[in-house]
Amino acid sequence: MSETRKILIWDLPTRLFHWLLVLAIVALVVTGKAGGSWMEWHGRLGLLVLGLLVFRLLWGVMGSTYARFAGFFPTPAKVAAYLRGQWHAPGHNPLGACSVLALLAVPLFQALTGLVANDDIAFVGPLYDLVGRDLSNLATRWHLLAVNVLLALVALHVAAILFYAHIKKDNLVKPMVLGWKDSAHGESARGGGWIAFVVALALAVLAVYGASGAWLPEPPPPAAVETPAW
Amino acid sequence: MKTKILLAALATALTATAHAQVKVEDAIKWRQSAYATMGWSMARIDSNLKGTYNKEEVLKAATVLQAIANSGMGSLYLPGSDKGKGWVDTRVKPAFFTEGAKVGKIAGEFNQAANDLAKAAATGDAAAVKTAFGAVGGTCKSCHDDYRAK
Ligand code: HEC
Ligand code: HEM
Repeated sequence: MSETRKILIWDLPTRLFHWLLVLAIVALVVTGKAGGSWMEWHGRLGLLVLGLLVFRLLWGVMGSTYARFAGFFPTPAKVAAYLRGQWHAPGHNPLGACSVLALLAVPLFQALTGLVANDDIAFVGPLYDLVGRDLSNLATRWHLLAVNVLLALVALHVAAILFYAHIKKDNLVKPMVLGWKDSAHGESARGGGWIAFVVALALAVLAVYGASGAWLPEPPPPAAVETPAW
Repeated sequence: MKTKILLAALATALTATAHAQVKVEDAIKWRQSAYATMGWSMARIDSNLKGTYNKEEVLKAATVLQAIANSGMGSLYLPGSDKGKGWVDTRVKPAFFTEGAKVGKIAGEFNQAANDLAKAAATGDAAAVKTAFGAVGGTCKSCHDDYRAK
């Protein structure tokens, strides 16, 4: 057993992203299942998730060492090596990386389909006007079906963390909260400074603005359209 | 007495034939149209709640919802209409026809909510309408979640 020391694994933006995403997804599942007037909040939270995901995708390029996709992108060879027990490095292991990518992709899919979805009752996504009814219904169908995939992935994610904690005696939650980990291998994360953060954040805000449909032309005010008085 | 029984028997026979005369395709079309009309009414109330509130318009829309809710739409769910095409292919789930008690409960809650909404609309109190409107939307959803295919 070699010496262990404290190294920084997850930078603050990555950790904030992670826990905000957790909260938002829980709230989205609750508001989505509740429906009715909760859909208002469902739509807002969905936009928040979209912003978070855009930020994370950019942070995967501009962020610090272990947040970068290039560093943890799983290849079949890497996964095989990990399964043979020949992989030792801090950060996402190759199998975990598959789970991470899926947990980014499915919520992204949810947010994008949600933008044009409708509940056939009194709520439509902010970009509903850009697609026809048929496409919106199709997006809604996929939105509802993908929820099951998302819930399954979350269950797997939590199960894996419990497995690591209890069987492999490796607490993965603590580094995601504090950022630090005692490790025998690797260096502290580097990169992902203020400028990268501000740029990623600004682009994420821009994406949310685009998705919010705030730029769409206002519908004509009721007085502007003449219809028979009866 | 005899005539009464005869009349009753005749009435029953007539209703039975009246039922038999509704074609599955028509029944599906009518229920789809009724739901689409409720969609119109819901959208109308929603835009009044979000924009300027017009009591008359909300009352009109709420009256439509109440009328459809109390119209006995159950009679459009003919046996065999779990498959088929009205305006579009039906989306009703087969369970709708086998879980009568549960469907009836949801339909009852929906009626109640629509009646409450009409009452609130008559007062013109936008806050009360908003609450009642949310409750109606909740009952639409609970039926769709369980009995309408995705
Ligand atoms: C008792 C169950 C039930 C309730 C309550 C209910 N629905 Fe539905 N709804 C259905 C079913 C079943 C269908 C599919 C009908 C079919 O395709 O044959 C449907 C279809 C629809 C459709 C699509 C119609 C089309 O064009 O095919 C809309 C819109 C709709 N419902 C809106 C509403 C609204 C709004 C409410 C509440 C005000 C509501 N529904 C309440 C069961 C219900
Ligand atoms: C990652 C983000 C999102 C998640 C996790 C999510 C999750 C959910 C869930 C759990 C439901 C309920 C499904 C069910 O009843 O089985 C739902 C329904 C819905 N969501 Fe989302 N959602 C997301 C984003 C969005 C966005 C951005 C919008 C639009 C602004 C949206 C619009 C809708 C609509 C319209 C429904 C109702 C569909 C129906 O009941 O017919 N969602 N969503």
